[in-house]
Amino acid sequence: MTDAKDTSGAIPATHRVLVVDDDADMLALLSVWLRHAGLAVSTASSGAEALARLATARPHCVLTDLYMEGMDGMTLLAEIHQRNPLLPVLMLSGQATVPEAVRAMHLGISDFLTKPVEREVLIERVRKALRLSPAPPPGDAPRFGADIIYRSARMAELLEQAELVADSDVTVFISGPTGTGKEILAKAIHRASPRRDKPFVGVNCGAIPEQLLESELFGHEKGAFTGANTRHEGLFQAADGGTLFLDEIGDMPLGLQVKLLRVLQDFEVRPVGSTRSVPINVRVISATHQDLAACVARGEFREDLYYRLNVVPLHMPVLAERREDIPALIDHFLEQQARRRGVKKKRFAPEALEYLLAASWPGNVRQLHNVVELCTTLSKSDIIPLSLARIALREEPRGVKTFKDARADFEKSYLTDVLRAAQGRVSKAARMAGRNRTEFYKLLSQHGLNPADFRGGGGQGGADDAENDVSDGDAPPDAGVAADDPPEQ
Amino acid sequence: MDRILVTVDPDLRELIPGFLENRARDAVRMGEALARRDYESIKRLGHSMKGVGGGYGFDEITRLGAEIERAAAAGDEAALRGLQTQLDEYMRRVTVVYG
Repeated sequence: MTDAKDTSGAIPATHRVLVVDDDADMLALLSVWLRHAGLAVSTASSGAEALARLATARPHCVLTDLYMEGMDGMTLLAEIHQRNPLLPVLMLSGQATVPEAVRAMHLGISDFLTKPVEREVLIERVRKALRLSPAPPPGDAPRFGADIIYRSARMAELLEQAELVADSDVTVFISGPTGTGKEILAKAIHRASPRRDKPFVGVNCGAIPEQLLESELFGHEKGAFTGANTRHEGLFQAADGGTLFLDEIGDMPLGLQVKLLRVLQDFEVRPVGSTRSVPINVRVISATHQDLAACVARGEFREDLYYRLNVVPLHMPVLAERREDIPALIDHFLEQQARRRGVKKKRFAPEALEYLLAASWPGNVRQLHNVVELCTTLSKSDIIPLSLARIALREEPRGVKTFKDARADFEKSYLTDVLRAAQGRVSKAARMAGRNRTEFYKLLSQHGLNPADFRGGGGQGGADDAENDVSDGDAPPDAGVAADDPPEQ
Repeated sequence: MDRILVTVDPDLRELIPGFLENRARDAVRMGEALARRDYESIKRLGHSMKGVGGGYGFDEITRLGAEIERAAAAGDEAALRGLQTQLDEYMRRVTVVYG
């Protein structure tokens, strides 16, 4: 365990790897390499032996040969994932064909390595897989993005980039279509930053009218405008010491963009109606589903602000580009549903899973979440059949909605945003929305929204609301999950 | 006869005698399989040699394994005989240095 060559990485020896190969020389070689890299290794010379050893060896990752006498690596993979869908499995093969590699990826393989493999490459890839392990040994520091469910190399790369910038105050810009989980990435960056003990405050710039957005962001003095009955501290100040997440920044009106630019340049805000500026210490992470460069080209977004925000660009891939994450996401959502309802965890029939794996998912992770929720709600048995998955995917609302549905969606999303901005204070929210309290309460009850869900403890206000959205992923969508974020992904 | 020096990772010192014995056994098995034209077994032998050789530091074993696998897949008996001779000779001449 003290070999100088391979102990440079930060993997504690408590990480266990199960190595499976029917070639004794290969098995011995891989074991020596991994042990010298500081890992605890157990071995199996067949798929059947590996399955038998799984319970006792309790590995954090499995490295298996593809071609073996008896049970091959692919069958072993399927068997392992039936027992533990999140266990990373790396496949080693002498001559994998492209269809095999694709199939393995679809089956949820973590990585595919080709023999002969180099020592450094193998160790690096096992390390990578171990970072994805769902069950790091107790006592470890939480890994970056622990709430983000993924197995794909694409997401691993993205998270590596994000982790690199988390530690500094550098301004991060997250692009990616709706439902891909931009806010969750922003929160992961916040949690891994030195600002983690300070608030994370999220605001959807597209959901609040310009006048209100300005006072929400920068605050206002008493009497600054009609209805400003009290002095109000803006979100920049609320996020002091922490992170301000400006979602849908592409929707920010031009007039406000120039004011935001000034704040980012001077690190101070001037509340509406005030003559004095207040210094701020806030890290800004912004996001949009729009092509911001195109918005700049069309003159809808200020170029100087674009460059100011886009210091480190990160792109959330659409779900169709990270299909290998779908099984883990589905499993996670099924688990979440079972826990929330206090019932036995349901499963998808293999053909239903295949169907979901192949779907196009224009609504990304959020759509997948909705479909899984619909299926678990509608399925009478523990195994969700293909027919139901088909119906759920078809029924899952997207595309053209009826006017009534669209209006209801908008109202709910708007109310959610206002409640978040008002940190769950109904009178404030009602004022922002230009409604009286009674009317506003009626609207909330119509949409099943509970203002308490938007109130945070410990003086962090909206930050707590935001944290609650994803920290355990349990908040039902009708209990205040951010409008543009899947509950967890 | 010139020796072929192969430098091997000292971490693998304990494994090397067994590894070399197994390759010598592979050469014998290959001869037997060739006699009965059992190309499938030869292909498997070649495949396994290809996968394991370089990892232990014996790139030549990986090269020969790949050639053997290819020739067996093509049922090329003449090529296989030539490769068997090369493997035998390599096994006789190889000398391991750790470092």
